[in-house]
Amino acid sequence: MKKKSLLLLICCLVLLTGCWDQRLFKDAKLIMGATFDLTDDGQVKDTVSVLIPETGTERATEGNAHIETGIGDNLFDARNEIDKQLAYKFDPSKLEVLLIGEELAKQDIYSVLDGYYRAPRNNLSAEIAVVEGEAAEAFAVTTDQEPRISEHIVGLLDAVSDTTHSHGDNVQLICAELFEPGIDIALPLLTVDKDANKVNYKGLALFHDKHYHGTSLNAEQATLLLLMDNKKGKVARITRKVSEKGEPRMARYLSAEVTNHNRNLKITPSGGTISVDINLDLYVNVVEYPLDKLTDPNKITELEKKLSETLTKEAEEVISLLQEAHSDVLGIGRRTEAFHYDTWKQMDWEKDFKTITITPKVNVVIQEHGTIG
Amino acid sequence: MGYRRRKSKQDKLIEEQPGNEADVKEPEQPSYSQLSRNIEYLTKALKHSNDLKIRILNEGQAALLFFETLSDQEKLQENIFTPIENGKFDSISKLPNGKQTDDLEEALKVLLRGHALYIEEGSKSLAYFSVTTTYNRSVEEPENEKVVRGSHEGFVENIMININLVRKRLEHRDLTIKYFRVGKKTNTNIAIAYMDGITNPELVKEVEKRIKSVTADTILSPGFMEEFIEDNPMSPFPQTLSTERPDRVIANIMSGKVALMAEGSPTVLILPSTFFMFYQSPDDYNARWVSGTFIRLIRLMSFLIAIGLPAMYIAIIGFHFEVIPDDLVPPVKSAIDQIAYPPFVEAFIMVIIIELIREAGIRLPQPVGQTIGIVGGLVIGDAVIRAGLISNLMVIVVALTAIASFVVPSHELSTTLRLLTFPLIILASTLGFIGIVFGILFILIHLVKLESFGNPYFAPVSPLRIQDLKDTFVRIPLFKLDTRPKDANPIKEQSMGESREWKRNGKSKKSKQTKKSK
Repeated sequence: MKKKSLLLLICCLVLLTGCWDQRLFKDAKLIMGATFDLTDDGQVKDTVSVLIPETGTERATEGNAHIETGIGDNLFDARNEIDKQLAYKFDPSKLEVLLIGEELAKQDIYSVLDGYYRAPRNNLSAEIAVVEGEAAEAFAVTTDQEPRISEHIVGLLDAVSDTTHSHGDNVQLICAELFEPGIDIALPLLTVDKDANKVNYKGLALFHDKHYHGTSLNAEQATLLLLMDNKKGKVARITRKVSEKGEPRMARYLSAEVTNHNRNLKITPSGGTISVDINLDLYVNVVEYPLDKLTDPNKITELEKKLSETLTKEAEEVISLLQEAHSDVLGIGRRTEAFHYDTWKQMDWEKDFKTITITPKVNVVIQEHGTIG
Repeated sequence: MGYRRRKSKQDKLIEEQPGNEADVKEPEQPSYSQLSRNIEYLTKALKHSNDLKIRILNEGQAALLFFETLSDQEKLQENIFTPIENGKFDSISKLPNGKQTDDLEEALKVLLRGHALYIEEGSKSLAYFSVTTTYNRSVEEPENEKVVRGSHEGFVENIMININLVRKRLEHRDLTIKYFRVGKKTNTNIAIAYMDGITNPELVKEVEKRIKSVTADTILSPGFMEEFIEDNPMSPFPQTLSTERPDRVIANIMSGKVALMAEGSPTVLILPSTFFMFYQSPDDYNARWVSGTFIRLIRLMSFLIAIGLPAMYIAIIGFHFEVIPDDLVPPVKSAIDQIAYPPFVEAFIMVIIIELIREAGIRLPQPVGQTIGIVGGLVIGDAVIRAGLISNLMVIVVALTAIASFVVPSHELSTTLRLLTFPLIILASTLGFIGIVFGILFILIHLVKLESFGNPYFAPVSPLRIQDLKDTFVRIPLFKLDTRPKDANPIKEQSMGESREWKRNGKSKKSKQTKKSK
């Protein structure tokens, strides 16, 4: 008898509680991409790309994208606006990419990200980027490379991170750096070419704390910055002019892949301030140089010297841009705080970052020159 | 270190009760000297059964009784009448191949065993001759336990042939066979076989005690015995391994287990059994050890697939679709977007369809069974997807689960696995991943608690014995399996001496030296 009633109780417990909290995958409207812009009166404009699966086909397909826009006072308000226009429930848990418009980025990106960090069912591994102009325009682009625009942008961002053009950050990874004074972020900057119907990678948008300064690095500078930051992607290619003479014109250029690199960042405190030396050794494999004669050691030395000079000069430019944007992407502040805490206490990083001396030096060593002699 | 052997109070009570032991006195009835009274007693006891033949000999001075349905006419002629005709013996009662008794009850039993009974007027001594007829099929490979390499012999319905198959493979004086009679009415002949000196005597005693405690009228097959003697009949897991393969029986006897055979069934039970024994197949030992290990790992993986895959799938698409890899989201979404039912109902329909097809396929004759397989599998499978009742992913999941459950070399465990899918499906569809965790937790707790003849069922994982793991998840080379597994608590643990010394002596001096120093 006792056993029977216990069994009944368990059955009731399972079947009659009424709080079946299942979320059916088939009833979710999956948001694959989201963009945020600032409207003229300071509201948030959220444009999302919704996955519309193709049904009734024999083969599994990628599905199509449906673009929907909502304007609200903050992130969730804008989401609610979108939800009102969608069949089934708005679900951001498989978000692939998050794009932020230039104007909003210049103000404060954390204000829209806060909702992502706070609610548990958000995909924090969504990739994040800044779009020049209005971000929503990126979703208006129709590309035939991929069936959905969000997937196209994800592919683009993955590729630039592989080629050492961006850190490959996602929503999760930038969180700590947004709050830490000693380190800043640099997000990939995209541009929308409306006439050509394209989304392009432009460079790195330099952030100070939670906002975009407006200064950006171009693709070549981005690679150099990432190498100085010891963050080489799968490949890092450098193409530079190495001679003024030579015909045809393209023979004046040399392309190399960095096979190995050695970054040495040295902070020397002196009298309440610091000076920084960045030594970057690049071991490269020449992949294109039509003038050849790379078997000659003198030629190699000459090229190495030329490349080192060029790159050092460029590195200096990059550093000056960083200081101008007040964007401590290299985390010099964090290192100072960790290793020279007394000096750090004396300094006001908000102001002093612009004034410290940072001396970069790039040294190129040509190790290989491809499969031809 | 042996495993702790539990002995509850009840066990002791059974041991102390005298009535349960074999010392219950059999009824006796001394024979009479008058022929007619003897015959009258016997015919009455056998309820005047029509197939009992009484041949009156010597002008009414003697009679030969036998069941014509149990006796072989040729044997009768050969054993009894031919010697008499040859004139070497003048009376049937003096034939050397006959046995004597003066107990009519005993005479009844031998009659039922198919012997012929010779009764003489004026003599209390009854002679009986073995003229039993048997109809045997050949020792073919069992249909449900096929192997690729190795012996293709299988047990048959005759216990004598079965014991013969065992003895032929195990020519050692320590192989001990003990007979029992169970089933008050069926009087089934049962035998246990074990290696004296390897098998733990306590285990043998326990097995004997349990066999003797069976008081049922009918014992038809080892399946009956299994339920009477197993430790926990409420458990879904089979606690005795049944097999129809002599090689498997020998291997288990040699590792200190007891084999139980019964007349009338080719199935032999291995006592005690562990969970992992159900995943060992003779094929593992016939193949090279690397491939044997690989196949065994696949088989063990099939356990997880068989009980967990539908539950996992339901939990993912009903609760936690965040875990679907990004690239799989669009295909999965498009597969299930237009399905009318919740995944729980979908899975139930599909699992039950598969069970129906399987059961129908077994019951029907071979050619029709195949048709059912094709109609059920292909036509229904395709149609339910087109009709939008069930998503193609669910069909993949359930089909994979069914296949995984058939990988187990034991039919009983395969049924158990398919049964265990259901509670896990229910838990997954109500509580998601946490439900699966609870379900698997309960199953594991049960497995760890379960005992088979006082030995742990989940050995050697729990209690953990690293040494025995070498023939559990993997199968290391046979010459390294030099100790018997501890799960049956054998008294002789060493199973081989030094092997492959030639290799060591020839190649490496170092190991030779270390061996010497030992």
